Amino acid sequence: MVKIFNAVLVVCLLVSAFFLYSLEHSTRGLERQIAKMKNGISTEREAIKLLNAEWSSLTRPERLQKLAEEQLKLQSITASQIVTLADLPSKIPDQPLVKLNDQGTDPIGAILEKMQ
Amino acid sequence: MENSVELHTPKGTERLHGQNRIRLLSIVFCGFFLAIAVQLGQLTLIHKTPAANPELAAHETPIPRPDIIDRNGVVMATDIAVASLFADPRKITDMDEAVESLTATMPDLDSKALREKLTAPGRAFVWLKRQVSPEERDAVYNLGIPGVGYVNERKRVYPLGRLAAHTIGYVDVDTHGIAGIEKFLDDQGALYTASLSEPETSTSAPAQLAMDMRIQHAVTDEVSKAVIKYKAKSGGGIILDTETGEILALASLPDYNPNADDKRLTSDQQNKLTSGVYELGSVIKAVTFAMAFDYGTASLTSTYDTRSNLVIGNARISDFHAQRRVLTVPEVFTNSSNIGTAKMALQVGVENHVEFLRRVGLLDRLVTEVPESAKPLLPKHWSKLASATAAFGHGFAVQPLQGLSVISDLINGGMSIPPTFLKRTKEEADVLAHRVVKPETSEKMRYLFRLNVEEGTASKADVLGYRVGGKTGTAEKVIHGRYSKDKSLATFIGAFPMDHPKYAIFVMLDEPQATPETYGFATAGWNAVPTASKIIERIAPLLGVTPVFTAEDLAKLAKLAKTTKKNG
Repeated sequence: MVKIFNAVLVVCLLVSAFFLYSLEHSTRGLERQIAKMKNGISTEREAIKLLNAEWSSLTRPERLQKLAEEQLKLQSITASQIVTLADLPSKIPDQPLVKLNDQGTDPIGAILEKMQ
Repeated sequence: MENSVELHTPKGTERLHGQNRIRLLSIVFCGFFLAIAVQLGQLTLIHKTPAANPELAAHETPIPRPDIIDRNGVVMATDIAVASLFADPRKITDMDEAVESLTATMPDLDSKALREKLTAPGRAFVWLKRQVSPEERDAVYNLGIPGVGYVNERKRVYPLGRLAAHTIGYVDVDTHGIAGIEKFLDDQGALYTASLSEPETSTSAPAQLAMDMRIQHAVTDEVSKAVIKYKAKSGGGIILDTETGEILALASLPDYNPNADDKRLTSDQQNKLTSGVYELGSVIKAVTFAMAFDYGTASLTSTYDTRSNLVIGNARISDFHAQRRVLTVPEVFTNSSNIGTAKMALQVGVENHVEFLRRVGLLDRLVTEVPESAKPLLPKHWSKLASATAAFGHGFAVQPLQGLSVISDLINGGMSIPPTFLKRTKEEADVLAHRVVKPETSEKMRYLFRLNVEEGTASKADVLGYRVGGKTGTAEKVIHGRYSKDKSLATFIGAFPMDHPKYAIFVMLDEPQATPETYGFATAGWNAVPTASKIIERIAPLLGVTPVFTAEDLAKLAKLAKTTKKNG
C-alpha cells in the first residue's frame, strides 16, 4: 500500500517537475519575445521621432516659401479674393457672361488645344 | 506512518515518549511545508505582477525630455538618439591599422591628431567622435577594432532652425534647459509635462505652445524684410489672441540658430520683446485715453486746447504734429497730441494715474512662461511732470509684450488676461480674466483705434476688408541720459477686426532710417505701420478672419484695380 502510494508520489513528482520545467522554458521564451518586442517598439519610436523631426524640418515655412517663389507662379491671397458662399450666384446665368463670338478669341480653349 | 514507528519501539513508556517526539516533529515539518506552500501560492498565483522589475527600472532613462510642438502639432524641439564613439588605447593591439581603418570610415577625422590622442601615455578613455549618426556608428562597430566602443546619448534638435528660437530657448550639453520654454520645463520639472500624461511608459506627452508656426514665419519674414528695408538696428513683432491671451507669434530680430553647438549670443540677439524694456512712446497714449474715459473726466466730445505748449515747472511739453488749435478727443488721438494727452492725465490726477497704471499692470514685472522677463523702469517720484510725460509714454519703459498685452486688454472688452506661450482655451482664459476697465470704455477705445487707421497717423495700416485699428509711436531714444533727436524707436500696436477685436499686433523697429520711399520720414507711420499692414494681409486668411467690405472699400479697390491695369 505504502509502496504504491510512494510510487504514485514519485510519478507525480516527475510529472510536475517536467511540467514546471516546460512551463519555465516557455516563460523564458515569452520573456525573450517581450524584450525583443519592447526593443522593437523603442526602435520604432526613435525612428518615428526622427522622421517627425525631418518632416518638420522639410516643411518649415521658410523653406516652402523659398521653393514656392522659385517653382510656382503664385501670389499671396488678398482680401478681395475671398468670397462667402452667399456671394456666389445660386444658378448659372442663361446667357454666358462672356460671349465668345463677340470677343473673337477663346483664351481658355486655346490653352486646351495647346495641351492636346 | 504510525505502524512503522511502532515496529521499532518495543517498550511502553519509551514508546510513548518516542511517539510524542515524532508527532511533534511531523507537526513542525507539516507547518514548515505548509508555510512554504502558502508563500509559493501567494507569489505565483495571487501576486501576479511583481512591483516593477528593479533590474529593468535601473537601466531605463529617468524621464525623457518632452517634445515641444506648436498649436497645430508641428514638432519644434525633439530628442533624437545619437551614439558617441570612444576608444580604450590600452586595448588596441595594432595602432596603425586602427588609425587607418578609423580615418577611412570617418573621413573627417584627422589621422595625425587621432594617432596623437591614442598614443598619449596613461589614457584609458578617449572620445573618438561625439554624436554620430546610426550609420556611422554601425560602420565603425563593424570594423571590429578591439577597444573601440560606443555609448548611446540623446541630442536635442530644433528642426525649425531659427524660427521661434527665442520662445523655445535651448538646452546645454547635458540637455538641461537654460533659456526660453526649455528652461520653463526644467523649472517646473520636466516631470511637469511628462507626468501630465503617461508616467509609466517611456514616452512623455509633448508640451504644446500657443504659437502657430505659419504665423510666426510670416511675422519673422516681414519684420526681417522691414529691418533691411529701413536699415533698422533690430526689429520685433508679436501677434496676441485678445480673447485667450495666447501668443501666436513672437519674433525678435536678430535671432540665432539654436542648433549651433557654440551659440556665442550677443546682447543684440536676446529676446528684446520680453527681456528688454523700451519707452514705447505714443502707443501708451491709448492707456491715458482709457483712463480718462474710465474715470469719466473726458468723453469723446471733450475738447483740449493745444494752441500753446504745456509748461510744468521749467519743463515744456510740445507736439510733434503741432495743430495749434482746440482739438476734440478723437482729434487729440489721431494727431497724437502730447499736449492734449498730458492735459487729460493731469485732469485725472497723479494718484489716480498711478493707481490706473497699476491696475492695468504696467507697473509690475510681466511674468510669463519664458523666464527672460525684465522689470519696468519707472519714474522715481510720481510728480505732476512725471505723470504728464508718462501720459504720452515718456519717462517709463516696459517690456514690449507687456505694452501689447495691456492695450489688448483695453480693447477686448476691458478684461485683463495674462499673456501665455502655452496653448489655452477660451474657458481657461475666462477663469483667469478680471475686469480692468468698463465695457463702454473699451467700446470707445475701439472707435479711436479704428479712426486712427481710417484718417490718422496709422493710415497705412488699413488692409481693406480686415478693419484694422491701431496706434503708432515714435519714441526718441535716450542716449547718454538725453533724448536723441535722430535715433528713435518706431512702434505700432493694433488689432483686427476692429468691430470685435480678436487679434492684437505689435511691430517695433529700432532706429529705422529715412529712405527715399518714405519721403525722408523715419516716424512709425512710414515704417512700422506698413510692415504691420503686410503682416496682417498675410496672416488674416490663416487666422480665418472673414473680410468685410464697406461701399468705400469697394470704391477704393475698384480705383486700385484701375490704376494697376493702366500701369500694367
